[in-house]
Amino acid sequence: MSVMRDEFLSEEDLDLRNLSDEELVAYWNQWLEQAQATNEADANTYSHGVFECEPEVRRLPHVAEFHGQR
Amino acid sequence: MRANIYQELTVTFNSGRLRAILSSGQAVVMHRLAVMSKDGDWILREDDEALEHVLKVLAKRGAHYRFGAPLDRRWLAGGWSSHFEFRMKGLRVRTDFVTRPPRISGRALESVWMNAEAAQQEIPFTDMITLAEMKKTNRERDYAVIGELARLIKDPADCLLLSRSARDLIALAQEHPELLERVAARRPLLNHVRDGRDVLEAELDAERRELIHTNERRLQCYMEAAKDWVSAWPDVSAKISGLPLGEAHNVLVAHAETLLPFHVEVS
Repeated sequence: MSVMRDEFLSEEDLDLRNLSDEELVAYWNQWLEQAQATNEADANTYSHGVFECEPEVRRLPHVAEFHGQR
Repeated sequence: MRANIYQELTVTFNSGRLRAILSSGQAVVMHRLAVMSKDGDWILREDDEALEHVLKVLAKRGAHYRFGAPLDRRWLAGGWSSHFEFRMKGLRVRTDFVTRPPRISGRALESVWMNAEAAQQEIPFTDMITLAEMKKTNRERDYAVIGELARLIKDPADCLLLSRSARDLIALAQEHPELLERVAARRPLLNHVRDGRDVLEAELDAERRELIHTNERRLQCYMEAAKDWVSAWPDVSAKISGLPLGEAHNVLVAHAETLLPFHVEVS
């Protein structure tokens, strides 16, 4: 019988240890490619550092910009 | 072999001299624990040559500044972070930089650089203890990483100081009772190791929540200090839009000098 232990990460995560360097890079790149699907959702947030979200940069509506230039 | 962009960048940042240590999420991959972050994060040398070199590398990649502090040692020395983004073959690549990583003392940071110099790795990345300290963020999932990192650390004293598992802590305490006495002063929950698993688990939960709140308070101090910078950003952002990165950097610095304090008092 196996001893119960506290689990933090999945078996799939921890399986990285069994990959060769080449396999690790291939998996890493594939993961990054798939993760691009959430780019829109996290467009204004930060993963690291002291900032949590990007301030909204409000652009004037196109028509207003046009009139403003006349 | 097809390279990984964060490995590639780390090699280029360190061309000719050690300037950058890959940290946070991509360092977690280098430790082969999990792939869990899209963005790259580095600890940089806090000197002008290192920062200029990194800026040139990013300029060659066509990167632009995201909202953040300029990549300038005056702000970075105050704990601020700088953020860039570029596109590469369909990938959105984000690069984040600090020179004073949170929760790492000046002495510990000196050791990080000395050890990285000695190790001469092609891709320097943060050691497990530094990474675990950096991961004491306000995100729950980072505590799972600390839990796994603690299992990889060889020194039992460091394991006692970082483990997130009540079972592991009880086993470590039984194996190293003398160490437990020695390190308990640095981690109060260790005084509860002999009170049973339920008590220890509650202490671990409370410790995690306190660490989360501490980091939230730290970030709040920076957010307060950046209020004027936030307000000015739409204008500053418009001024640097489309400029080569070097020019954008100079414009950013000129504006930040009047709007973003170098130093932030963290309460």
